[in-house]
Amino acid sequence: MSAALPLPLQFTWLIPVYGFSGMLLSLPWASGWIKRNGPRPAAYLNLLVTLLAVIHGSLVIRDVFAIGPQHLDFAWFKAADLDLRLGFDLSLTNLAALELVTTMSLICQVYALGYLDKEWSLARFYALIGFFEGAMSGVVLSSNVFLSYFLLEMLTLSTYLLVGFWYAQPLVVTAARDAFLTKRVGDVLLLMGVVALAAWAGSLEFNDLYVWAAEAANQGRVGPLAGTLLGLGLIAGPMGKCAQFPMHLWLDEAMEGPNPASILRNSVVVTCGAIVLLKLMPVVAPLSPLATQVLLVVGTISALGGGLVALAQVDIKRAFSYGTTSYLGLVFIAIGLQQPGIALLLLLAHGLARALQFMGVGSIIATTNCQDLTELGGIGTRMPATLLAFMVGGAGVTALVPLGGFWCFGLMLNVLLPAHPQLAAVFLLTNLLTTANVIRVLRSVFGGAPLPKTRRTPECNWLMALPMVSLTVLVLLVPLIMQRIDPVPGIAAFPPALGLAVLLSGCAGVLVGCLLPKDEFWSRSRQPVVRVLQDLLAYDFYTPELYRRIIVMPVASIARFVLWVDRTLVKGLVDGVGRLSLSTAEGLKLTISGQLQSYVLTLIVGILMLLAAFQWFRGGLS
Amino acid sequence: MVQGGPELMLLSGLLLIPFVGSLVLLLWPAGASPQRLRLVTIVILLVQLALSLVVVWAFDPAAAGMQLQEQHSWVPGIGLDYALGVDGLSLPLVLINAALTLVAAVITRDIDRRPRIYFAMLLLISGAVNGAFLAENLLLFFLFYELELIPLWLLISVWGGVDRAYAATKFLIFTAISGMLILGAFLGLSLLTGSVDFSLTPVLSDRLAMGGQLLLLGALLIGFGIKIPLVPFHNWLPDAHTQASTPVSVMLAGVLLKLGTYGLLRFGLQLFPEAWARLAPGLAIWAAISVLYGSLAAIAQTDMKRMVAFSSVGHMGYVLLAAAANTPVALLGAVFQMVSHGLISALLFLLVGIVYRKTGTRDLQVLHGLLNPEKGLPLTGSLMIVAVMASAGLPGMAGFISEFLVFRGSIGIFPVATLLSMVGSGLTAVYFLLLVNRAFFGRLAVTPPTGDPQVDGRLDVRLAPVAPRETLPAIALAAAVVLLGLVPASLGHLSEVATTAMATVASTVAAISSGVL
Repeated sequence: MSAALPLPLQFTWLIPVYGFSGMLLSLPWASGWIKRNGPRPAAYLNLLVTLLAVIHGSLVIRDVFAIGPQHLDFAWFKAADLDLRLGFDLSLTNLAALELVTTMSLICQVYALGYLDKEWSLARFYALIGFFEGAMSGVVLSSNVFLSYFLLEMLTLSTYLLVGFWYAQPLVVTAARDAFLTKRVGDVLLLMGVVALAAWAGSLEFNDLYVWAAEAANQGRVGPLAGTLLGLGLIAGPMGKCAQFPMHLWLDEAMEGPNPASILRNSVVVTCGAIVLLKLMPVVAPLSPLATQVLLVVGTISALGGGLVALAQVDIKRAFSYGTTSYLGLVFIAIGLQQPGIALLLLLAHGLARALQFMGVGSIIATTNCQDLTELGGIGTRMPATLLAFMVGGAGVTALVPLGGFWCFGLMLNVLLPAHPQLAAVFLLTNLLTTANVIRVLRSVFGGAPLPKTRRTPECNWLMALPMVSLTVLVLLVPLIMQRIDPVPGIAAFPPALGLAVLLSGCAGVLVGCLLPKDEFWSRSRQPVVRVLQDLLAYDFYTPELYRRIIVMPVASIARFVLWVDRTLVKGLVDGVGRLSLSTAEGLKLTISGQLQSYVLTLIVGILMLLAAFQWFRGGLS
Repeated sequence: MVQGGPELMLLSGLLLIPFVGSLVLLLWPAGASPQRLRLVTIVILLVQLALSLVVVWAFDPAAAGMQLQEQHSWVPGIGLDYALGVDGLSLPLVLINAALTLVAAVITRDIDRRPRIYFAMLLLISGAVNGAFLAENLLLFFLFYELELIPLWLLISVWGGVDRAYAATKFLIFTAISGMLILGAFLGLSLLTGSVDFSLTPVLSDRLAMGGQLLLLGALLIGFGIKIPLVPFHNWLPDAHTQASTPVSVMLAGVLLKLGTYGLLRFGLQLFPEAWARLAPGLAIWAAISVLYGSLAAIAQTDMKRMVAFSSVGHMGYVLLAAAANTPVALLGAVFQMVSHGLISALLFLLVGIVYRKTGTRDLQVLHGLLNPEKGLPLTGSLMIVAVMASAGLPGMAGFISEFLVFRGSIGIFPVATLLSMVGSGLTAVYFLLLVNRAFFGRLAVTPPTGDPQVDGRLDVRLAPVAPRETLPAIALAAAVVLLGLVPASLGHLSEVATTAMATVASTVAAISSGVL
């Protein structure tokens, strides 16, 4: 690090630290040491440090614009041939992602002040959000796979704690467990990949790894099997983080957690996972063609499956969280086809719009205390800001002109159509499904006649409305931001026919959304075919049940088997030897008869046996 | 840095303080209150900890080989010398011993029976463990290794739980067999090589034929395998833990198991490099089996203490894996794993002890919702989350860097065994998450579920609050776990030279004798 670097740049490593320090600052309130005046000070302190992170981040961006991308590097642990470093890549892409993370965190924290107004454990929530934000800021900046892994695991931990925030509720308990374990499976596979990379490639810096992977593939230094396993391990971590099939269940269950955390989880956390995958892709692609194929397949299944399952959800949060899985599937396809630029644009468009959508959802939940679509309806224009957020957010996650999604979809189709027409169809079909879902939810929440729970629905309080409206404006500005980030070849660099195709898929989606029956009462259809389909989608293709059968039950039975072995065989053997020696002693005790002759006989037999043994032993030696 | 001369005798101090302290406590006037005896013990242990830190200060991490050596002839006829020395392998363990014995003394409460003997035995164990870690003579090591046995047996069989006699006897028999095998191997080494010298000479074994080496190493492996413990010699451990009181569990898991892994590295790997290289693939498989067996058995446990005990079986398997791989990074990982397992398992046992004292049970089918902020044990629960996450190898805590080093060092040599052990690391998350989810999440209850939602979790339970002095040791341990996880170089720089030298020497010797070099 040269001394000539501007001060904000030199101290960029502080930006993740701000988040973590927010956690430490909240501790006195979270742990109940300070009880006077309630937990609000912890929230204010967190807001302050997050604001600091946003400002610091923008200063760094200004400097990087002026002097170009920089790299910060600190030694952390060095032993023998292992050199673990903390590296930060200050490229514009990373910094843009950082600003997305910190800004969203700030907006969500303001929003949470309103949403969790009377929450007892407000300070604990802010402590966790601080931790969350710190880990995410670090992930997007990190320049090596070790630091990325390190922070992804911290994200897993904080997700677990945030989902388990209301830990007294039974659904929350299982949701937190599933969130942790699903992500942990991905993380352990990723760790296997990282450990293997550390052993084979030496350096863990992404840039060194790219060179190494290209060379290794050219010279055949890594066997095809090893390369494939490595590739699969590396993509497993991001798959878990981005809630992709087959590790998608947790995101839906995680909706049991507080909504402000759901906002972050559905927008920026999945973005972090995708960014890590983006950084890993140049390592995976040359070594493992299969892993690349897997990415495309997983992306396709997640995109279409998520879109379909979302249509049958009655929980308003879950309906949109499956949308996240679906959208990230498209991002995975873009990453798998090595279109990092478009993938980043997709992520940007999605992150902001999805967050806005979830803010609208939070506003509905806070006002009605209900998140069941069958009990919502007829709100109409009584919550104008929320309605606007719903519409703009919905337009943002679908490809509606002129919002961000439209341009990304157009660019992507332009790339896909010549080489992979079937994937282009996936994009259009997903857009159709997403649009249908948005329209369906919009209809059931705002349309129709008011229901008991929606008779009195004032607009949400200003602490929630202010961030929501600000974000609405931001989402509307996304195309301009995109144009600024990606001026060459420009966001409209695709033929108008493709734009029309995207639009038409959206219109078809609107049509489907309008035709779908409204779930005023959650009555299953009487037609057997429709009912089977309805159940299939509502229960997520029965994946939870499938996992219970093929993963949970086998592991549990193996564990019980091991316990049985331990109790019966191992302990049985030990106790058996003990009993045997005791009973032998008891038996021998009875041979003591007092007859001198028998003692003498025993002595003589013993001596004879000893002598014979000696003789045999000596004979054996000589 | 201080050059260790005979006039300094720092290491002897590490033995003298606890031994003399133990004697003082035994001779303390009868009728002294347990609180006073506890205070005296704590003061003695603070002095021991301070002296351990002085040794750390006097230790030169850049120098290879034993330091601060002391050598006196004791019983020359049988080759028993009073020879002490410290290197990067034993120094962290000496430090852990001092710290955890102090923790054990601090958390000792309600000793109504024979407090003098209790505290004297605690100090005796600490001194004997120090002696075993510092001994440079095989017989001297064996003496200290056995010396720790009787006090621990007493601690379990006098101050233990309901089934203490069974558990204590089992512990005694297992460990006595372990001792016999180790003594047999040491005597065999001297007998077969014709050396009357029991000093720690790494190259003695190359005078032996491979058959003899394998035989002696096999005896050592089983002997130390019982102590570590490795599957299938682990049966004494869960019983000992469940019957021992919390401080004794802390000592057992945190300090005494490390004697086994230390012995494996110091005597197995260093004395028999050639045979070790021959057996290494088998040892790696053994390690993986131990890891998976321990983790799977832990999943099926309902007693929190048994669960933690089986997790110990699993986690000590990593040390064997690292020793089998025998690369500099893996051996450093082994030292890290010994230290972090010491801290983390001590923390886990301590917290389980608090739960047990407040609720009267450790049954996961009975406990629910202990995290309740007003009526439950919120701080204990939060610390428990830290402890289980550390044990599951979450980054930022000591368990992660240890496992990372072990895996990184081993994967190049034994990829399959390493990957299987990593699966075991994933399973750790499963059982410890079950523990937290069952006992700490949900509605507060300390009764078995009846299946009736009207009853379950609705009984008004109010647990006695946990006093700060009870959680203070746990907070200190948790802080140490986080600190070691964030600044691993603090331990790394103490041990790196020693572990690197050990790996280099061992692999060179093995290479020379197998004709590669």
